[in-house]
Amino acid sequence: MPVAILMPVFDEASRLARTLERVRERAEAMGGVTVFVVDDGSERAVDGSTLPGPGDAFRVVLARHVVNLGQGAALETARQLALRSAELDVFVTMDSDGQHCADDALSLVQAVRAGADVAFGDRFLGDSEIPPSRRALLHGARVFERVLTGLCLNDAHNGLRAFSRRAIERIPLRQSRMAHATEIKQRIARARASAEGPSLTLVEVPVTVRYSSDTRAKGQRASGAALILRDLLGQYLFGEAE
Amino acid sequence: MTFASYLLLGLVAGLVIYDFAQLRGKNRRALVLEVVVYVIGGFFIAFPGRATDLAHFVGIGRGVDFLLYPIVIWLVRESLLSRRRRLQEDERMAELTRAVAILEARELPAKTEAARQG
Repeated sequence: MPVAILMPVFDEASRLARTLERVRERAEAMGGVTVFVVDDGSERAVDGSTLPGPGDAFRVVLARHVVNLGQGAALETARQLALRSAELDVFVTMDSDGQHCADDALSLVQAVRAGADVAFGDRFLGDSEIPPSRRALLHGARVFERVLTGLCLNDAHNGLRAFSRRAIERIPLRQSRMAHATEIKQRIARARASAEGPSLTLVEVPVTVRYSSDTRAKGQRASGAALILRDLLGQYLFGEAE
Repeated sequence: MTFASYLLLGLVAGLVIYDFAQLRGKNRRALVLEVVVYVIGGFFIAFPGRATDLAHFVGIGRGVDFLLYPIVIWLVRESLLSRRRRLQEDERMAELTRAVAILEARELPAKTEAARQG
C-alpha cells in the first residue's frame, strides 16, 4: 500500500463515504491506498460501518479526536499515524467533503513518483469555477505567503497536496487550525534553506476544485484569514523554538 | 471628599463584598491580594492630593498618570503572558487528544455480505 491519504473530517459523514468511494475507484491505479481518516471531534462520530470497506488495494484507518481541535491538528494526527507504516512512500492530503477529485490525487502521486518531493494542486490551472471573492482572497494569500516564505506558488491554500516520505517527515504541524497551510510552506522554505538533509523539490499540478453551496459555506472566508494571521503571529511570538 | 469619591469607594467596597461571597468555601488567598490593591486604590480615591504628591516626587505630572502608567504596563504584560499560557495549554490539549486518537485508531474490517447488501 504505497500511498497514504491523510483526510481530516469534521461533520462530513455523508460526503465522506462518497469521497472514499471515489478514492477506492482509483486505488489500484495509485498502486494501493491507505486512507487515514481523522474525525476531528464531529458532533456525531464517524461510523466506520457506513464507509466503504477495504479491498485488495484499499484500506481505511479511522481515528477520532474526542474534542474538536482544527484541521491542522487532525492532519498532524493522520501524518503521525501514516508515518508508522514503513511501506508508505507517497502522502496525500485531501479534503473529505468531495471538492477534490480522486483523479487529481492520482496526478499528484504521479508527480511525486516522477521525482518531486512536494506536489501542490493548482486550481487556477485546472477547470475550477472559482467564485470571484474566493479568487481575490487566494490572490491575497499568495502574495502574503510569497513575502513570508519566499515560495512562489500559484495556489496558496489548496488542501490537495502530495509529499514524498522524506518531505513529510520534515513537515510536522503545530498549527492546529487553518494556519497549517501556511506553516507547511514555511517548513518547506526552511527545509530548502537548511544545509541539513537534501533540498526539497516542488511542483504545481493542475487540479479541479468543485465548489458547491455546502463547500463554500464551510470554506475559508475573509474572517478566516484574520484568524490565520492571528495564529501565525501567536506562534511567531510565543511558540517554542525548535 | 467629593460625591464621586464616595461613589467610587462604595463601588470598591461592593466589589470586595461580592468577591468574598462568591469565594465562599473556596481558596480566598487571592482575595487578600485584591483587598490590599483596593485599599491602596481607596486611599488614593479618598486623598487624590497624595497621589499627585507621589507623582511629583517621581517626576510625573499628575497623580492619575502615576496610577495609570503601571496599570497599563501590568495589563499589557498580563495579556501577553496569558496568550502564551493559552497557546501552551492548546498544544498540550492537542498532544493529549492526538495520543488518545492514535492509541484507539483502528483499521476498518472487511464488510460481511449482509452489511454490503444493507
